[in-house]
Amino acid sequence: MIMLVYSRTKTIGVQKQGANRRVVSGVLEDELYAMQCEIMVNWDNRTIEKVQTRMKRFTTTRCPLAEKVFAAAQGWKLDSELDGRIKKELGRMGCRHMAILMVDACRALARAELARELREALEKDPGLDNKQFLEDFFRRYPDLKDYLRLE
Amino acid sequence: MILNFQMNSLTTVEQLEKGLWRITARSDDDLFSAELTLDVKTPALDIRQAALEIRRDALGLVPDVSGAMTKLVGVRVGPGMTKIVRGILRDESGSERIADLVLEAMEMLVNALTVPELRKATQMVGVPVRLEIDGPDVYLNDVLLGEEHIKLMAGNPRMKDSCVAFRDL
Repeated sequence: MIMLVYSRTKTIGVQKQGANRRVVSGVLEDELYAMQCEIMVNWDNRTIEKVQTRMKRFTTTRCPLAEKVFAAAQGWKLDSELDGRIKKELGRMGCRHMAILMVDACRALARAELARELREALEKDPGLDNKQFLEDFFRRYPDLKDYLRLE
Repeated sequence: MILNFQMNSLTTVEQLEKGLWRITARSDDDLFSAELTLDVKTPALDIRQAALEIRRDALGLVPDVSGAMTKLVGVRVGPGMTKIVRGILRDESGSERIADLVLEAMEMLVNALTVPELRKATQMVGVPVRLEIDGPDVYLNDVLLGEEHIKLMAGNPRMKDSCVAFRDL
């Protein structure tokens, strides 16, 4: 008989709140941990304005101390340096599982914006040239070119 | 408030037979959907089989990584796996997204293997807690490993460096 030994779910939702504000919420749950993070980003300059994290379920008395670490991302930009900063400067000081959730949340936010603009472009032009669309998108958001790993 | 975008991922670890594990990692968002399967065998924890199915790729940008999947066979779950997997999957024709999916799958096996150790320790020496950040009506954490036993767990090669709590002790 084959039975499940371990499972991890991550779910991330992105909201567009007004013209310039984006809010992303992420939840991670597995056998060992449950945690969540919420991030508010100013899309005009792709900068993190607020981060709140909650360690919900964990294994050691040290784990909840990680909550204090992640607010340090305030002011960080969505660019090619972001993943490394979150993993090294926050994950290694707080909780690397939360860091992974935060990396995924920030990346989902950038992908959400691309998906939203792609939908709008397809409504206007159903025969849209994908390559041209991406060139236009990255011309407007050059700092996302090395951040959004589409391949 | 209605969402504009969702990303969901589910990674599962199953024991197919004694010493043979199957890890399945699925990732879905508005643009992309893929499912990876790795079979890993003890005692070396080496990958015996790797398969990837791209279910949806809205922009058609994910390259064919079937050759890289073949090269994953023999790679061990353990120290150094990040560099090796990235080396295989992140060359010019490769995919960082798929590399991340593979690494997440491998890490879930590590987590799965640490659960019995943590469960045993928590049952034997766990400290009853009522934390301010938990509750106030329903508490998710009733027993945790305290400082003294965190140090003991950090001495276990299987646990050391598995998370921040067990580092630098």
